[in-house]
Amino acid sequence: MDPKLINDCVHCGFCLPTCPTYVLWGEEMDSPRGRIHLMSQHVEGTPITPEMAGHFDACLGCMACVTACPSGVKYDRLIELTRVEVEREHVRDPQERAVRGIVFSLFPYPRRLRLLRPTLGLTGRMARFLTRVHPSLGAMAGLAPRVERRQRLPRVVRARGERRAVVGMLTGCVQREFFPQVNAATARVLALEGCDVVVPPDQGCCGALSVHSGCDDQARRLARRTVRTFEQAGVDTVVVNAAGCGSSMKEYAELIGREPGFEVRDLSEFLTELGPVAKRHPLPLTVAYHDACHLAHAQGVRAQPRELLSGIPDLEVREIPESAICCGSAGTYNIFQPQAARDLGDRKAAAVRTTGAELLVSANPGCTMQIAAAMRRAGAHIRVAHTAEVLDASLRGVTL
Amino acid sequence: MLDTLVAALRSLLPHDSVITDPVRLRTYECDGLTYHRATPGVVVLPGTAEQVARVVRLCNDFGVPFVARGSGTGLSGGALPREDGVLIVTSKMRAILEIDLANRRAVVEPGVTNLAITEAVRDRGYYYAPDPSSQQVCSIGGNVAENSGGAHCLKYGFTVNHVEACEIVTPDGDLVTLDRMDPGYDLLGAFVGSEGTLGIATKVTVRLSRAPEAVTTVLAAFESIEQGGQAVSAIVSAGIVPAAIEMMDALSIEAAEAAVACRYPEGAGAVLIVELDGPEAEVERQFAQLEEICSGAFELRVAAGPAERAAIWKGRKSAFAAVGRISPAYIVQDGVVPRTSLPSVLAAIDRLSAEHGIRVANVFHAGDGNLHPLVLFDDAEPGAGERAEVVSGAILDLCIEHGGSITGEHGVGVDKSRYMPRMFSEADLDTMQLVRCAFDPQGLSNPGKVFPTPRLCGEVPGVRKGVHPLVESGRAEQF
Amino acid sequence: MTTGVTIREAGADDAVDGVRPRWVALPETVEEIAAVLRDCAERDLAVVPVGGGTKLHWGTPPERCDVLLDMCCLNEILEHAAGDLVVRTQAGVTMDALAAALAEKGQELALDVPFTEGTTVGGTLATATAGPRAFRYGTARDLLIGITVVLPDGTIARSGGKVVKNVAGYDLGKLFTGSYGTLGVISEATFRLHPLPAARRWITAELDPAEVPSIAAALAASQAEPSAGEVDRPDPRGPVTLSVLVEGAAAEARAETLRALVGEGDVADAPPSWWGLISGDEVLVEVRFPATGTAAVLDAAAGTGLPLRGSVLSGRVLLESWGAIGERELAEAVSGLRAQVEAVGGRVSVLAAPYAGVDRWGQVSGLPLMRRVKERFDPGRRMSPGRFVGGI
Repeated sequence: MDPKLINDCVHCGFCLPTCPTYVLWGEEMDSPRGRIHLMSQHVEGTPITPEMAGHFDACLGCMACVTACPSGVKYDRLIELTRVEVEREHVRDPQERAVRGIVFSLFPYPRRLRLLRPTLGLTGRMARFLTRVHPSLGAMAGLAPRVERRQRLPRVVRARGERRAVVGMLTGCVQREFFPQVNAATARVLALEGCDVVVPPDQGCCGALSVHSGCDDQARRLARRTVRTFEQAGVDTVVVNAAGCGSSMKEYAELIGREPGFEVRDLSEFLTELGPVAKRHPLPLTVAYHDACHLAHAQGVRAQPRELLSGIPDLEVREIPESAICCGSAGTYNIFQPQAARDLGDRKAAAVRTTGAELLVSANPGCTMQIAAAMRRAGAHIRVAHTAEVLDASLRGVTL
Repeated sequence: MLDTLVAALRSLLPHDSVITDPVRLRTYECDGLTYHRATPGVVVLPGTAEQVARVVRLCNDFGVPFVARGSGTGLSGGALPREDGVLIVTSKMRAILEIDLANRRAVVEPGVTNLAITEAVRDRGYYYAPDPSSQQVCSIGGNVAENSGGAHCLKYGFTVNHVEACEIVTPDGDLVTLDRMDPGYDLLGAFVGSEGTLGIATKVTVRLSRAPEAVTTVLAAFESIEQGGQAVSAIVSAGIVPAAIEMMDALSIEAAEAAVACRYPEGAGAVLIVELDGPEAEVERQFAQLEEICSGAFELRVAAGPAERAAIWKGRKSAFAAVGRISPAYIVQDGVVPRTSLPSVLAAIDRLSAEHGIRVANVFHAGDGNLHPLVLFDDAEPGAGERAEVVSGAILDLCIEHGGSITGEHGVGVDKSRYMPRMFSEADLDTMQLVRCAFDPQGLSNPGKVFPTPRLCGEVPGVRKGVHPLVESGRAEQF
Repeated sequence: MTTGVTIREAGADDAVDGVRPRWVALPETVEEIAAVLRDCAERDLAVVPVGGGTKLHWGTPPERCDVLLDMCCLNEILEHAAGDLVVRTQAGVTMDALAAALAEKGQELALDVPFTEGTTVGGTLATATAGPRAFRYGTARDLLIGITVVLPDGTIARSGGKVVKNVAGYDLGKLFTGSYGTLGVISEATFRLHPLPAARRWITAELDPAEVPSIAAALAASQAEPSAGEVDRPDPRGPVTLSVLVEGAAAEARAETLRALVGEGDVADAPPSWWGLISGDEVLVEVRFPATGTAAVLDAAAGTGLPLRGSVLSGRVLLESWGAIGERELAEAVSGLRAQVEAVGGRVSVLAAPYAGVDRWGQVSGLPLMRRVKERFDPGRRMSPGRFVGGI
């Protein structure tokens, strides 16, 4: 690991209040500043102890600290590098290894995910059983949403009206298997705004989950394949509707060692740059917009989704207090760190409740699932939707 | 000794509130000042005042020193741990216990961040006035220890002016409430700013201030520091008391620009941030005066709303950490001179900088003469660190020469204790020590801070002849 | 005495709360104060410092008093750094002389004193009297930025300095402010100043006491930012006169806003005659209270039958006695008042009373620590012994 990256940290502590685990536990070792200190201990020769690994594992990778840092510390890079080291050096206990093995052989592979879907769908009894075996497995089961009818997207969705752009679209793994309606809405919105949407059918996982978990080789392999797929599709821009995928794809150059032949844009980012042409029908709703960490912190996309939502007549956007703090979903986090994820989810749910909004909108299905589950635990219910679904409803003039 | 103490601590606190793992302990080796490091013997994270008191009593039983720490953002090493001692971290004590707007006060635990108080009452038109640059992270307990100021203390004063009461754990482990309303010595006034040497605050009652009707934030760009300085003098002699007058020089502007893209006017030799607040009618008049005073500025920006106001402040508030972008290493200095001496002191700093080949960026609270020179150096270059130290120390000497202070808000801590004898006489320091000995006769509470040499609180020589009449009459008790 | 300091035999007029000293010392410099105190230490003589003597009968009588240290000769304003809004002055300077000098440069020390003449800087600090404008500017301890004191053993010690922003070392100024001469002698003080406001307006109205709490709350929360709000109730069964001060270039316009909050009243550019003053202080009771206690305090004060005056905005009023009040009567009035005031989170202190049988301070939570401070500073109990809380 490059000690220069570590030395950028001047120990000012501005990251502390933005860090979800510090917010939960108030301990230096579980803050970005503390973790960077642990990294420097390791660089100076301290081997990775189970305690140290535990603090790195507890990091959600939400990158709120990157936004908060006035010294420009590349914590995102640091934690990724550290995770690689942890995977390389640290021997986890067998049970933990088994759980991680299952997750990494499952999530990045849409077909395997699909095969397992019915199993995961058996929430109730199954979840209780799995929790007894290992809390992480219980968490995984608890996550699975009710899946709507699967919609297969065509290879190309043609623009409505005048064609203004041609874009590629990432369908993702979790998104594709558990939230096909979000992908469908994304494609429709893009088409209604005048885009030809190219959806390569043979695309796989973008590699984000592996990057975020320190599985370097797997990440690189998946990234190369994704780059190849979209380069072959011949598009200049790839639009992504999942925050975690978008943030990793924007870092492809660093991961695979060359610039991919296309640009990566988050859906909301792309739509605001393109400018609206399609008519917006009124949606009389109060909406709480949740900043997905990988959108707000990793990609700096905060204003665009709010702008798109506010552009819908009769729709009121409300801010959630402590919006910079992660909801605890964080990719695989709610599987590996179920208790912390649950605590953060409860915290976020309480914050969302204060807004009194009817609908919770986010660019990341993981977040909305997490928050909705926490709200159910607290006996409250809120409808959830992806930004794309809200736009889609408004553009088509249907109710959500 | 520590081993036995640790066992006792474990019986007192929840398992995860006692840290002994060496790797974890090291993350507490320094606060915001990384120059001084010491791995604490043991770290405890109590959750209640009673737990703090019991930990302190244990330390007394074992004769082990203890150090309190909040968010660990201090810039004078005030929370530098003791290798032979206990570090008591208040970051788990962060509940806002009561908000009492009718009495304009809030009661908070020491780990609550400064900004959290304002955020809790902002919607209702109130705020907590002291605003150190680290307000989003620094804790109230730390603010009390350091008597923190901030940009707006020019008009509104420091932590000590906004704390109504403190529940403290005394160095011998008693829970005592010091209340401004109580008759008797102003122990609260003595406690605030004592840098953890007189005990640990476990509950703080702060005063809430009513948000002003109008706030006007002005950014004036000048070609040179001198022109900026003249404008400051003119503001003061016009009888205006702005909420804040801040100045940044070209180098610190460059750093802030790199860090947060604050978009200050290009080519400015100095920018002045002046904030006027108060009743609308007053602010309007003062702004008219200010415009005239700043006629020498080549650009004058007025923030149109909270967002623009925040943008102007962002560059200033992130300046310290931002300097990391333009220099591999740096020392943040904190000294005060009478405001009228600013021009000559700044010129002298320039000379020092040139003499030693060390760049100095200047960020300061111009309204009250509080300088924050940032002494830049490359720690990879042999000898540079030492030269920077020399420049940094010479700046403090300049402050003392001009009748100022070696610290305006960062505190003495461990970093500046050696400068205390330059500012105070032996008799002054001995007298302060009397207060120390009254609170902490065993010298266990944050020893080695503030004062240059550890002193013992020996038996006080005194003449006592028989029983006092008051004691005899039962109106006073013998102590 | 061998100090070379002017000393005279004390007369009956020099008595401190009825205790007559043997000598009066008149030092002219800080060093002379130190010399006197060293001498006194050697001979175990008890010392009481005095400025203008306006509040010498406040507090309990000293256990003993051998030397009255008259500060009248230390009456020089040492430095008025107008550009820095700071003044350094000797303790014997009177507050009105100081105000006159500062006014020449368009500045003021925003500390109101309760007597029109004779009050010195040192006495004001030692008793920590708070005036009407404490609501906006704070009290003496908030405006004091540096202090020079002489300890009972003759040690001259300084803390703070002449810059407003300064956190180096302990703030002895806070400790000595309001210490009633029991820790040492305040000999010099440095204050932060304010520019004299361009204009001042007072809104004065006679009110039903029941209206006062809500009006006070509205004034305190008003963004028109009054500097002070004082009440006067000479007849405990009568109405309350409320007067509100507003300062600044736009005082006239802001006064209208504030008058609307009061509901009625005249706007004038001079204060009512009673503004911030103590009329009679043979018996003087101070009540401090949080804003929500205003109604209860007004009620309780009326119950004592004593006239009331003071600030409803900063929560500090004084009860005076304009007629004779007996010892038992006062003791009962105070204990009744204290019970009611403490129930709403306030405190009652008897600042002055010619009786020994009145509980002057009530409960003081930090008393053990205060005793330890006294023990360290004045182990021989020679500085104004017995004059303050708990017989300190």
